[in-house]
Amino acid sequence: MSQPPDKREARSRGNALRAHLSAYGFLAPAGILVLIFFMIPVAIILYLSVTNLASSNFTSDLAKMEFIGLKNYRTLLNDQFARKIFFNTIFYVLFTLSIFNVSLALIVSLLTTHIDRGAGFVFRALWILPRITSPVVYILIWKRMMAEAPFGIINQFNNWMGLPTYNYIATNPWVFVVVVNGFIGLSFGMIIFTSAIESIPRDLLNASLVDGSSKLQRIRYVIMPLIRWPLLFVFTYQTLSLLTSFVEIQLLTDGGPGLYRTEVWSLTAYHRALSNYFGNAQWGYGSAFAVLLVLIGVVLAVIYMRVFRFDELVAEPRVETL
Amino acid sequence: MSSKIRLALVFFLLFGLLAGAAFAQDSVSITVRCKASPPEEDWRCNSFAVVEEQVEAELGIEIDLNLIQDNAGWGDYKNEFVLASEAGEAPDIILSGHEDIGAWAPAGFIIPLDDVIGMHSEFDDIVPSLWDSHGYAGEIWGIPQDAEARPIFYSKLLLRDLGWSEDDIESLPERVAAGEWTFADMLATAEAAIDEGIVDEGNGWWHRPSNGPDFLYYYYGHGGEVIDMEGNMVVDSEALVATYELLGGAVASGVLRSDVIGLDWNEVWHPTVAQADTVLFAAGGTWNWPNWSINYVADKGGDEFLFENIGLTLIPAMATGEAITLTHPLTYMISSGSENPDVALELIAAITTPEHNNKHAIDSFHLGILNAQLESEAYANNRLLSSAHYMLDHTTALPNHPGWNAWSNAYFLGIQAVETGEADAAGAADIAIAQMQNELGDGITVR
Repeated sequence: MSQPPDKREARSRGNALRAHLSAYGFLAPAGILVLIFFMIPVAIILYLSVTNLASSNFTSDLAKMEFIGLKNYRTLLNDQFARKIFFNTIFYVLFTLSIFNVSLALIVSLLTTHIDRGAGFVFRALWILPRITSPVVYILIWKRMMAEAPFGIINQFNNWMGLPTYNYIATNPWVFVVVVNGFIGLSFGMIIFTSAIESIPRDLLNASLVDGSSKLQRIRYVIMPLIRWPLLFVFTYQTLSLLTSFVEIQLLTDGGPGLYRTEVWSLTAYHRALSNYFGNAQWGYGSAFAVLLVLIGVVLAVIYMRVFRFDELVAEPRVETL
Repeated sequence: MSSKIRLALVFFLLFGLLAGAAFAQDSVSITVRCKASPPEEDWRCNSFAVVEEQVEAELGIEIDLNLIQDNAGWGDYKNEFVLASEAGEAPDIILSGHEDIGAWAPAGFIIPLDDVIGMHSEFDDIVPSLWDSHGYAGEIWGIPQDAEARPIFYSKLLLRDLGWSEDDIESLPERVAAGEWTFADMLATAEAAIDEGIVDEGNGWWHRPSNGPDFLYYYYGHGGEVIDMEGNMVVDSEALVATYELLGGAVASGVLRSDVIGLDWNEVWHPTVAQADTVLFAAGGTWNWPNWSINYVADKGGDEFLFENIGLTLIPAMATGEAITLTHPLTYMISSGSENPDVALELIAAITTPEHNNKHAIDSFHLGILNAQLESEAYANNRLLSSAHYMLDHTTALPNHPGWNAWSNAYFLGIQAVETGEADAAGAADIAIAQMQNELGDGITVR
């Protein structure tokens, strides 16, 4: 005996609600983490950025902080070096991302998946070393290698060979900032791309060769389209990651030499709010820098999602929706 | 269990609790936080352990002393105290630079000591000029732990190569102190050493490679002031331009390296200067000496090598005509969160004696803080200390002011600009003043 239509409709609504609740239930742990570790801190620094909180009036009681409106933002915009630091950040992200984090990562992945499997594994393991080494040790190695004569290893070789010696990092700080960070970033893309390439069905790859394509043509017309999603993911993730990364720069050049030559936005936020040789750290002013960084990150994330059509990339395969 | 046994157990339990409570009343917990470069500066905290029993006997209490000492970076170290204070977990005694009084006093993290200093005769003997750097808003907020001088180290080895006689070399500190041998003479000597190939270009004079207190004495040496008579922050543009001219001129003439800011302290600066064969003049601090002796020239004879090849003098006179130096006393401050500030001060008083301070002064080559130290045998017989103590008569200090941080960072920007050639002296002064005005607003007066 069939049920009346209104009962069937109610049951269907109930099922849909249960399905939604289960989905939200599964999303809840991640959602709570995002809320605790992103949304709440953002709200707090947003509030701090409209106060004059410093070591000299420090309090954790939000009600006791002195509200100064947009004064920190006015100070920031009037800062004669804010523009320079902003463009430094763009330069740093653009070059590190395009040269190392995506392009070289892809090249290393393609090369190591087209040679003997064991050899490929060894090469990839070597490329991962910068990422698994402690940043302090990693930067010390670079500094020791590049230090001026007679302390640096490269300059020792220069001396032995009768070549001139250089203070490499001070002379070319941007080269080293990009290379040092790029070697770390490269390994992330390499892992993602390699796993994506390895997961392409072998018969598909072999079929293209049987059909007469060269290995380069196979990369261009078979592999690249099939790893579009990981490519876009690495591009987006690494952009946002580079925007907020500063540890290696701090250890290598600390934003110098000279007038903020390699200072990036996140390092400035750190310098202002958390690290000050003479004490009185400017927590409120530093927060204003951090808030703008969050805004830039959110805007870029939205743009990437629209431009790269992430919704299509993560949509159910059409064959499943038939 | 019989009722008698139960009663006895309850009685013993109550007795134990009461006895424990009574005992706890006499036990006082004191935490001391120090920053020190090991091993030469370890007495900063370790001295408290030496006097612990003595203070316990004097006060008739038991002290649960907790010493936390490491060599953390200054920025992290200071933030740690600020956050701990707000969390109610601050150490009872914090050792830090006197300039932190300017931030921590208005924040209420430390307590004024005017009313209690007089209760301890040990403090009567502190060198009077040191108290100047411990005041804020008309009150004293800390007890000096050490003092130092920031001299020019000169290479005797290279001066000999330049043709200086032993008399010329040994009399240099006196001639500098008298204002006879000036900063201009120092730069001219460095230029001559470069011209004659005794040192490479850029190695005539090195200053410190990172921001720090030393840079202020160039500005003071040109008559500049940071705080006016009313306690307000000022910047003297004429002195600022003259300072930048001095630094930029030294780079232009090849005496000073344009990339000296940024050199690694431990990888390049110390090992180079300590050898005495590369850099003619180096602006450092007295505490550098034991560091060099232990870590960089120990294989060459340590102190003996240094005495033979390196001398130290005041910063030669600049525009004001007077040789100067700058002392940056570290100071023991008592947290406002301390439950036992009296005991904390008693402990500080107990180590403020020639006997205890001499250990730190001798091991780390910091200058004594007590007049009596000068008369003590250990201090007077120490060749290094006795050769540098007179510098305290020529000393200057950093200001204690909440705006000092912004002022000094802007001032340092100008130094970086002029030394890297990104601006001339006037341009560098404009950069520094614009930065000060942007960050300090009405809190800075440009003169």
